[in-house]
Amino acid sequence: MAARPDSEDIAMDDAPTSHQPEVKDDTMVDDAGEDVEEEEDYEEEEEEEEEEEVQRVKLLPGSTETAASFEFSNEGHTLGNALRYVIMRNPEVEFCAYAIPHPSEAKMNVRIQTFEGTTAIEALEKGLRDIQELCDVVTDKFVAAADDFEKKKAATA
Amino acid sequence: MDYDPMAMDDAESLGPVVKISQADSVRVKFELQNADISFANSLRRVMLAEIPTIAIDLVEIESNSSVLADEFIAHRLGLIPLNAEGVEHLLYSRDCDCEEYCENCSVKLTLHAKCTGYENMSVSARDLVPVGERINQSLGTPVINDKDGTGPLILKLRPEQEIKLECIAKKGIAKEHAKWAPSAAIGFEYDPHNKLRHLDLWYEKDPKSEWPPSEYAKWEEPPVEGEPFDFDAVPNHFYYNVETAGNLPPDGIVTEGIKVIQQKLAGLIHELTEGEGEGGYDGPRSPDYNSGPDTGYGYSTSYGGNGGNQSAWGGGGGTTPFGGQTSYGGGGWS
Repeated sequence: MAARPDSEDIAMDDAPTSHQPEVKDDTMVDDAGEDVEEEEDYEEEEEEEEEEEVQRVKLLPGSTETAASFEFSNEGHTLGNALRYVIMRNPEVEFCAYAIPHPSEAKMNVRIQTFEGTTAIEALEKGLRDIQELCDVVTDKFVAAADDFEKKKAATA
Repeated sequence: MDYDPMAMDDAESLGPVVKISQADSVRVKFELQNADISFANSLRRVMLAEIPTIAIDLVEIESNSSVLADEFIAHRLGLIPLNAEGVEHLLYSRDCDCEEYCENCSVKLTLHAKCTGYENMSVSARDLVPVGERINQSLGTPVINDKDGTGPLILKLRPEQEIKLECIAKKGIAKEHAKWAPSAAIGFEYDPHNKLRHLDLWYEKDPKSEWPPSEYAKWEEPPVEGEPFDFDAVPNHFYYNVETAGNLPPDGIVTEGIKVIQQKLAGLIHELTEGEGEGGYDGPRSPDYNSGPDTGYGYSTSYGGNGGNQSAWGGGGGTTPFGGQTSYGGGGWS
């Protein structure tokens, strides 16, 4: 992704993170002086140590209570499509969609817009719990069907 | 927000139904009804790529006078299915406290064969011997299902050639490398009569006579001649055919698959609810959740928010327009 010229119509702050130029941040840091940079080196090491606790969901810029975009790390169509469907089934939800902005980045974005009664985060959580519930039911049904099948096989043999 | 996700307006109101049509030691064929295609596909994808199993990941070759190159043999060893019973008690090597690998996160296997006779000799998976401590007696044992009881062929040796090596089998998922796939193949099918017209069947003269009916065609009503197209119809019956590579039982793949989805969801729910209470830097927060000297951009993401410039790891945080909170990072630590 090439850095775009500064003469963009929209302020860069408003653009989604995936469209903000990478270089911009670096130059800004350089301006801040050397002591800041030193501190950063130290923080960098710390970050590597804490790598285990990578955050898997985050709220994207520009989100409000009832209209929010979430970014999921290391998730794809497996979760995205099922989540989109189940959130959309919630009558309190006005809109829900998911996208994988770039195939070589392991990131999945979900946009949720709700009516006044609830918040986007609540709708997301509810969606996750609904799939869990569905999984429970399917597990039970599958195990029951497998047991049934075994019994029938044993009876005919 | 009170609604029952299971009580849906159409066929889904009945709740999902599972029917098994065939089940043995290598495959299970089943039908999932009254679920959405998105869930059905999630289950398929997760069974293909995200169920943890065990496979050889490190090979130390002591001697190899065979005609095959070391790395060639190492690759072949990786692809040999190993019994994954009890793999849930095995740690991922990356999560283990040990330096490189230990009995908590790996299984060691050795292979030592020398052709002492006058005829070429076959070395197969049977000759891989698990050594050392194991979580249970079957975890990591090569899968042998053929009638000769040898397992997959690894290499052949001419007289006087020798192979001696040590393998470390680790836990992993097929998303990282296909050798960790539990399933040899997963059949997935819906709408055998193509009533929904999701398929555009290629044909020379007549698609009906040129395309043989699917084995599931008799499970569903054939289309009536002259029937108008139903624009509201959605797929509702999904036919799976899960064939194991031998490392997990076929029905185990299905239940494990659902378990993996649930773990995924549980992790996310945990993260979501954690962040709400304490306002720490994990968990997403609603935009106006942060009061106090915040970045002033009306949102905060994973790394920011702890008092503007002193964000968790962006030292130079406050200097960037995004407070060092963009996904690309404040200063090259991304």
